[in-house]
Amino acid sequence: MWAQWAQQILLAAIGVSAGAAAAGGLFAFIVELGVVADFADRTHTADKILLYESSVALGGIIGNLIYIFQIGLSAGAAQSDIGKGMLGIFGIFAGIFVGCWSMALAEILNVFPVFMRRVRIVRYVAAFTISVAIGKGLGAGLFFFKGW
Amino acid sequence: MASSTTLYIKGDRDVEVTKQDVTLGDILVMECSDKTVLPKIKTLRILKFKKPGQQRCVVSVLKIIACIHEQYPGIEVQNLGETDIIVTYENQKTPPLAWHILKTIFVVAVTFFGAAFSIMAFNNDVDVTKLFGQIHELVTGQETSGFTILEISYSIGITLGILIFFNHFGKKRFTVDPTPMEIQMRLYENDIQTTLAEDAARKGEELDVGTMGAADPSGGHRS
Repeated sequence: MWAQWAQQILLAAIGVSAGAAAAGGLFAFIVELGVVADFADRTHTADKILLYESSVALGGIIGNLIYIFQIGLSAGAAQSDIGKGMLGIFGIFAGIFVGCWSMALAEILNVFPVFMRRVRIVRYVAAFTISVAIGKGLGAGLFFFKGW
Repeated sequence: MASSTTLYIKGDRDVEVTKQDVTLGDILVMECSDKTVLPKIKTLRILKFKKPGQQRCVVSVLKIIACIHEQYPGIEVQNLGETDIIVTYENQKTPPLAWHILKTIFVVAVTFFGAAFSIMAFNNDVDVTKLFGQIHELVTGQETSGFTILEISYSIGITLGILIFFNHFGKKRFTVDPTPMEIQMRLYENDIQTTLAEDAARKGEELDVGTMGAADPSGGHRS
């Protein structure tokens, strides 16, 4: 009886620590890349930054709950157009976020300035931006189409 | 005018103006012991944006001092603020509120679903489910059911970690420090301003005393 309690408490301690550590790491990664600050700046809504922060927090919390406990719609609703529509909404926004995120990562690692300097490109930077965007989009499409 | 008069000026790095004629009072705050010259100096025109529409100009503080000296040669100017001032001219006052709300909703949606996707992708990537099964078996010696105290406490831990990291929930702050995103926002703005100022200086587009009239697309006509 006591041994079981001790086991449960140990598991709980591991769980809470693991969760706090993972959350700290992942969300520091999101924030320090400056994606959300970028969004707020582009849309001139810097006054809503606390709201965006709450939104990120809530997204993380709920997303984790959905993943861990496999929460879903009931089978009927999931088959319907509502389910598909929700998937579409999730897909487009998650896609935008990850797209910005991956480019922010490349930016923070100074990939582009280094390349531009090495090959001595000063013009047509816009063309590279577009080709990176199209390349990423096509790559993601190919990945899912082939089922890799 | 007494030659000992000192004028103290202080400018922010980034100023937004709404009219095409920019006077010194629009971009600077100043203080002078001789109160009679202050209003006159404030109305001195430093630059004029020729065409409407959003545009930018970087003004060197030397140009501002030259502008003041032209009218008041005896005055001593002390700059207590930035040395390069970015002046952004924006035509329309404020966009409609509905558009603002729409943009906010868009960003909220992107950040919410993005964060949800990120945490799920992270869990999937490190295979949290399998790892929790292994830990559960190690501690209790039994197969995991997939829904144990470990999963529940992990979710609590994630929630706690996020809230502690972001330092607020809704409008309620846990400490008086700014949140990480507020800091990031400032850093981002600073980066943009530094880039704008240095870019203008490098291209020779900065409104400075040496480059007067030559490479100056925005026109530096003074009154």
